[in-house]
Amino acid sequence: MSQVVEIGLWQLLLALLFILIAQIASFVYNLGLNKDITVGTVRTFAQLFLMGYVLTFIFRIENLWLTLGIFAVMAVSASFIIRGRVKEKEVPYMLPTFMTMFVSYFITALFVTGLIVGVAPWWEPRYFIPIGGMVIGNSMSALAIALERLFREMRQQKGLIETRLCLGANYREASSEMFRNAVSAGMIPSINAMMGVGLVFIPGMMSGQILAGADPLQAIRYQIVIMLMLVGSTATTSIITILIVRKRCFGKGEELLLGEK
Amino acid sequence: MTGILEIEALGFSYNNAAKTVFRELDLVVGTGEFVLVKGASGSGKSTLLRLICRLEASESGRILFKSRKIEEYCPSELRRSIVYVSQIPAMIEGSVEENLVFPFSFAANNGLERPSEKQLSEMLETFYLSDVSLQHQARNLSVGQQQRLALMRALLLDPEILLLDEPTSALDAESTSMVFSIVEQLNIARKKTVVMVTHGSFVPQHVSPVLYLLENKKLRNV
Repeated sequence: MSQVVEIGLWQLLLALLFILIAQIASFVYNLGLNKDITVGTVRTFAQLFLMGYVLTFIFRIENLWLTLGIFAVMAVSASFIIRGRVKEKEVPYMLPTFMTMFVSYFITALFVTGLIVGVAPWWEPRYFIPIGGMVIGNSMSALAIALERLFREMRQQKGLIETRLCLGANYREASSEMFRNAVSAGMIPSINAMMGVGLVFIPGMMSGQILAGADPLQAIRYQIVIMLMLVGSTATTSIITILIVRKRCFGKGEELLLGEK
Repeated sequence: MTGILEIEALGFSYNNAAKTVFRELDLVVGTGEFVLVKGASGSGKSTLLRLICRLEASESGRILFKSRKIEEYCPSELRRSIVYVSQIPAMIEGSVEENLVFPFSFAANNGLERPSEKQLSEMLETFYLSDVSLQHQARNLSVGQQQRLALMRALLLDPEILLLDEPTSALDAESTSMVFSIVEQLNIARKKTVVMVTHGSFVPQHVSPVLYLLENKKLRNV
């Protein structure tokens, strides 16, 4: 296959023309986005260059603990991003969310790198970190959607949940459809992505591999593995996390702890 | 005196002790008794019933059901023996029949016999709902009809104690008298122990309720 065409510094700076267009549009139409566009551009350069150097360093020294450390940092960051999106104060959900994410994503990434791709060692950073990152990034969104949906429905349907409890339901029976709705809401985006992939959009990973000179038929195989992996990981993390967090929404007497909103 | 339900020195407050609702509250309810608790709005009448069926957790004191602490019962078993009917009944999406029989799908109600359509239709008449068919959408019924349906649903579980929270709060005079008449019949004919809270006027026709007033965070027998 052809070699990668390198992007030089001047070519990179030429891409700033796109930002210039956005800045002019914001200025002309008084959108008030000039500062955000500038900060966003600087952060894009800074964060990605930093990541590039970090990854180069990690790929070079190939250390198991460093690789796992990076993986843990990604999982911790993801759980804090989820906390920012969900904004629930009454039920402690952070610890079970983080634990489920870490264990589930680790097993998924391990399965893909060790068994499906079959790299040796299984933690080979060039494979383990990007695959782990994709699992965490996608499942994090799924989990945030599922948790937000669970808390919202439990509050909105408090009257119905309590009526069921009063008629002999246990907490699982009383909140069964809130559980189902939350897990489905989390899983639907990754299932929809499978429907549209290759027709509506070319996924980022596949595009990256093709641009890097890989055979498209090899790139699609990687992409298929990634798509399937994401459905599996969003399903397992959503189900396990929602099961644990739902239990925490109820007290010792199986009374609903969430207030109505 | 030992009753089917005993409350001793009950304490409860909302928002981490910011608002004290009960302090050293006592109550004894005998089997088959009709207890009426009156009190001003916000005095904690609903909270008292919610504590008895563990929809809220008490801070101090204890509540005994048949001489055992309520915490010793499995929550779903306790709640099918002491059924709480809330002020605003919640109906599931579906027909009147579905609303009446859905509790029979719960594990705690496995031992109960699911009523037949004929039995349900007869009960509708007893509850002054003869104009309502089992196929009606329950959520389309008036609040008064839903209140009676909620009472019927509770009764199908054959509970030992009925906790009724302002069962006529949203009803007109005619519906109010119907509901009170039903509740009195349950107490007399079916020997159900009833604890009813209300801030309105309930003029008993056939029962002699034990009347309590909830004020200053305690119950006073009047």
